[in-house]
Amino acid sequence: MERIELPQGTLDLLILRTLLSGAQHGWAISERVQQVSSEVLSIQQGSLYPALHRLERRGWIKAKWGTSENNRRAKYYELTKAGTTQLEHETETWRKLTAAVQQVLEGA
Amino acid sequence: MLSDLRFRARALFKRSAVDNELEEELRFHVEHEVEKYMRSGMSEAEARRRARLAFGGHQQMKEDCREARGTEFLALTLQDVKYGLRQLLANPTFALVMILTLALSIGANSAIFSVIDGVLLKRLPYEQPEKLARIFLHSAEYPKFPLNPWDFLDFRARNHSFSSIAAFTRGDVQLSGGDSEPVRLNGFGITSGYFRVLGLRPQLGREFDFKAEIPGNGLQVILSDRLWRTRFGADPNILGKKITLNTQPFTVIGVMPSGTQHPGNDYHSVTYGESVDVWWPFSFAGDPNRRGSHFIEGIGRLNHGVSAERARAELNAIMLQIAREHGSDHTGWSVLVIPLYNEVVGARRQMLLVLLGAVGIVLLIACANAANLLMARASSRQREISVRLAMGAPRMRVVRQLLTESLILSCTGGVLGLLLAFGGVRLLVSLLPADFPRANDIHVSGPVLAFTILVSLLTGILFGLTPALQASRTDPKKGLQNSGRTTTAGKQQAWLRSALVIAEMGLASVLLIGAGLMLRTFLNLVHLDPGFREDHLLTASLSLPHAQYKTGDQTAQFFGRLSASLNALPGVTSAGAGSDLPWTGYDENTGGFTIEGKKAAPGQESHARYHMATPEYFAAMGIPLLEGRFFTEADKKGAPWVLIINRAMADLYWPHEDVLGKRISFDDNPKKDSDWMTIVGVVGDVKDQPNSLRAEPAFWWSEYQVSEPDMSIAIRTQADPRGIADGLRNAVHQIDPALAVADVKLMNQVADGQVSTPRLTFALVGLFAGLAILLAAIGAYGVIAYTVSQRTQEFGLRVALGAKQRDLVRMVLGQSARLAVPGTVLGVVLALSLGRVVQSLIYGVSPSDPLILSLVVVLMLMVALVASLVPARRASQADPMVMLRAE
Repeated sequence: MERIELPQGTLDLLILRTLLSGAQHGWAISERVQQVSSEVLSIQQGSLYPALHRLERRGWIKAKWGTSENNRRAKYYELTKAGTTQLEHETETWRKLTAAVQQVLEGA
Repeated sequence: MLSDLRFRARALFKRSAVDNELEEELRFHVEHEVEKYMRSGMSEAEARRRARLAFGGHQQMKEDCREARGTEFLALTLQDVKYGLRQLLANPTFALVMILTLALSIGANSAIFSVIDGVLLKRLPYEQPEKLARIFLHSAEYPKFPLNPWDFLDFRARNHSFSSIAAFTRGDVQLSGGDSEPVRLNGFGITSGYFRVLGLRPQLGREFDFKAEIPGNGLQVILSDRLWRTRFGADPNILGKKITLNTQPFTVIGVMPSGTQHPGNDYHSVTYGESVDVWWPFSFAGDPNRRGSHFIEGIGRLNHGVSAERARAELNAIMLQIAREHGSDHTGWSVLVIPLYNEVVGARRQMLLVLLGAVGIVLLIACANAANLLMARASSRQREISVRLAMGAPRMRVVRQLLTESLILSCTGGVLGLLLAFGGVRLLVSLLPADFPRANDIHVSGPVLAFTILVSLLTGILFGLTPALQASRTDPKKGLQNSGRTTTAGKQQAWLRSALVIAEMGLASVLLIGAGLMLRTFLNLVHLDPGFREDHLLTASLSLPHAQYKTGDQTAQFFGRLSASLNALPGVTSAGAGSDLPWTGYDENTGGFTIEGKKAAPGQESHARYHMATPEYFAAMGIPLLEGRFFTEADKKGAPWVLIINRAMADLYWPHEDVLGKRISFDDNPKKDSDWMTIVGVVGDVKDQPNSLRAEPAFWWSEYQVSEPDMSIAIRTQADPRGIADGLRNAVHQIDPALAVADVKLMNQVADGQVSTPRLTFALVGLFAGLAILLAAIGAYGVIAYTVSQRTQEFGLRVALGAKQRDLVRMVLGQSARLAVPGTVLGVVLALSLGRVVQSLIYGVSPSDPLILSLVVVLMLMVALVASLVPARRASQADPMVMLRAE
């Protein structure tokens, strides 16, 4: 199956969206994105963790240590209130963008 | 925002904990990947390989995460600071010399800037002070002359340039009542609207209205906050109460808030700051056609968009109208409108800017010096820098590291300097003359703090950048091969360092020449013949209240009795009373007297200063009698009018004539003998200020004939005049127990105050010059010593080849001369081109004074000689064996 590189800026959106259903650790976030996108999107681990730290610094997600499904210490990330707002905002922007691109592609 | 800060702070200060967490998080991730791969049937080893492959560079990711945390810049800086501190502590002498010299120069700059900030930069304490302007009359002879009240009223009624305009005049009052001794208060008579002009509002009550200007309504008073607190216990119900001023009941109608500052005045001046105790309503009466007496000062608030120039033109036009209407002669006179700021600080501006320039030069020298020392040190650190470059540190990292070190030095210097400035400013203010404008506004304040921080940072970058860039250009290969001993500083660096020392020498010479000029100025002023003798002289002032001393006879009688009892005191050589003391500010003139037998040219009124004196006044002041006689007890009411004039008046109106017996009259149309006043004596000249160009023509009336109630007492004693102060008080209170004896001081102090500005200027410029020379000497020593150490082998070789010690010493001294001579020449040229800047600050000496210039050249050469003594000695001990062993 062919995998597509993530366009600039969409990584944050994907992470935030993934966390909407509840706290997750980093590995689970990348797995989930891959699954939900039917293996089309894959997050390079090299960019996942810097992105998580960046989002945490901006206060959109917060991290806490918890226990994973197989009883190991893992760092869980969850959406903050600001993060939820940001997600709504970015989703909206994304929709507009894709719709516009779609329109150009079909109409031109 | 806050969470962002907290996050960054944790990332910064708990860096290793954060890093460990990341490590654990990443490990967790890899484990999961491995499990995933194993579940799909891979062997564990294969799964691990795949997982790691997919993960990418572990180290790179950690770097990226750190960057994402947004703390990299700070973290690096912290690291640089730690490293820099270690480097500086490893060489404490170097660090100490650097920090101390920087602290001294930055501190001196902060101190001077405090003065600049307080005096020149801080807004005057009034509403929209830039719209305030002072109003004077002006003639070629009297640049700033007070106004006549009638003229003022016409200005006020007719002008359109000012939104409001007011006048004020000094008039001290005596406060009595209660059980305490009567005191003299600094008072000003003010027209209504005076405070509105300034934009100040009373904290209690109101200011005077127009009705208060009508004669007879004047028994009202506004108190200063200080007087209200100290004398009336901050009584909140003070309004409407009566207090006794000049033995009359005055009703308190207002209290001004603290911080009510006097806008300054020339005529009978009082110091700036909160120096006024009471304000009373100014009123006057008389004939509006007689406008000869000038004694009030004008101040106004300019309308929006009106310049001082335009206001001046309008007032001049009004003055011409007035002259037409009242048939008065205003030839040669015009109105002057000066923005208040210029009036208050204008005269001191040049001095302060010169001081700022001088202290700025010190800082420049300190920078050159620091750059010099840094470069010397960088060459001995070449090995360390080479290692860092070889290990792959980018050049910018090395530059950054070295800059951080210079910033540590300059900022430490800045902090110490600020501490110095706190002490320095206090000392400076205590040395300022009493009449220095806004001295009370000088503090180490917020702007000074900002200035110090800025100067510290700029200094650090200025002196650190070039050495840092130079050092970072080190070729790691060469640096390592050279093993750190015989570094190749490179021709360029050697040239740069010599150029820096030459510049230091040049700038130091400039300051030294400046200090020389200021010293000559000060000495010239001190050694001027003042025309009187200020030693062994006690002065005081008395003001007889009109309520008790209604007639001239009573006044004359009082001063006669007082003189007699003072002259009878043991230890008193002579004691008298005069209307004015020399050098205390005086600007009263009378014009339009007629000289018997001479016809004045039209528009050329005869003018002279007028004073009153008792017979013993001149002897007490030490003013010599040149011709004729002093006043005697017989020169009283009823006796023929007599005058004593000064030599300037004699020379002006009776050149090459015998003036004794000559007569003048103040009557417009003198007929009878009693209309004339006869000159009976000529006394020596006393200038207005010690550095005045010439003495003004002046004359004295006999106090017993004209009976002036406000007089100064002068007592000349055999021993220390301070001992006579109690005797004076007793003598006064024996005659009138309710009279305040004010301003008791030594004439020495008054005279001293006159030279305190030039003395302070000299002391500061001298101090800065000393600092500059010390820095330049350190710089010269640094370069010469470094060269000598570089040339140890060469010197050894020369000795081996037969050179004498003498030759080696000569070589070193030659190098020193190559720094000092161009430096001094540069300094002299600079100083000559800057001569105009100090012209207004010097007296009796030319900016190109050959004596000062040659002394400075000699001194600078000697400094260079001293700086090279130690290196020369070391060179002369060059040992050929050392050279051979080193190879």
